[in-house]
Amino acid sequence: MSDKPSRRQAFDEPLWWGLFSAGGVCFAVFVPAAILCLALLAPLGVVPLDAERARSMLFGLPGLLFVGAVVCLPLFHAAHRIRHGCFDLRLGRDGRNKWLTYGSAALLSAAALTGVLIGMLR
Amino acid sequence: MSTKSIRIKRYLPEQADEAFWQRYEVPVDDSTSLLDALNLVKEELDSSLSYRWSCRMAICGSCGVMVNGIPKLGCKTFLRDYPDEVRIEPLAHFPVQRDLVVDMEIFLQHLAAVKPWLIDEASNAAEPNRQTPAQLARYKQFANCINCGLCYSACPQFGLNPEFLGPAAIALAHRYNLDSRDHGKAQRMPELNRHEGVWSCTFVGFCSEVCPKHVDPAAAVNQGKVESAKHTLIALFRG
Repeated sequence: MSDKPSRRQAFDEPLWWGLFSAGGVCFAVFVPAAILCLALLAPLGVVPLDAERARSMLFGLPGLLFVGAVVCLPLFHAAHRIRHGCFDLRLGRDGRNKWLTYGSAALLSAAALTGVLIGMLR
Repeated sequence: MSTKSIRIKRYLPEQADEAFWQRYEVPVDDSTSLLDALNLVKEELDSSLSYRWSCRMAICGSCGVMVNGIPKLGCKTFLRDYPDEVRIEPLAHFPVQRDLVVDMEIFLQHLAAVKPWLIDEASNAAEPNRQTPAQLARYKQFANCINCGLCYSACPQFGLNPEFLGPAAIALAHRYNLDSRDHGKAQRMPELNRHEGVWSCTFVGFCSEVCPKHVDPAAAVNQGKVESAKHTLIALFRG
């Protein structure tokens, strides 16, 4: 491996691509299911929703998995698309856009997971 | 036999700095290919027209042009499929040298960068390299590339950054990496692992649509991403 910048190995890209791929699956499978159940079927009374049971599930391991699949991974998926969209539109520099997009996804994910963790500890 | 109007984007650097469009009326029938029409223009209407061609049968890969904005081989494109006027331009994303002739130097550099040959330092040249049909089937599709460069004209990422290795070079690297006779994968992966390697691809997929030999370079690039991810992960654990 030479030390010219263009010869540098992209050690970070497999991570972003992995998160993008996992987030894409979640976006396609879990997000529509969550919207269907929580935003349509539950308010219409088709799916019975017990507030106390929902609360106990959200503030536990199922809640952590739910937030990971419906919030965190889709956030990284969206961040990857926005980063590459910016590159396609020649907006900003890719290095800075990576920090902005993946950084925002990481912060929002941390906020969502912290919310669940706080609920678990109360 | 009827006539058809074709418009060709001309660039004659000794006459003008800017490219210009020129219209020609060519006699056509159902069997007239775009390359036939260009040959007819050259031989009978305007000998100053420059373009590349050789085999006339989609093997040499030299007659690539943009036809109504889509990269195509002239010999494999038939004017009967274009009821309206046909616009012919040089291949997109390459510097134009003259008329329909483009400078493919960077494309050739990218092809050479992935070491597209069998690397097997331990092989004995006197012994035949045996291969089963199953081993051949793993890479055969990716071995059909004729280096025409249509996929580079179709690729928006190569258009944005010509340093991107691009579909054909990555497909070629993948072809040799999948070959049971080859042991050069470790030498090729550093080239694929770069930002300008497999990771510049955003899976638009147009490269595979325009490929005249159905190589499916987009599949090669995305299989290359899996290989690059595995290679990077193993390298990180090894330190």
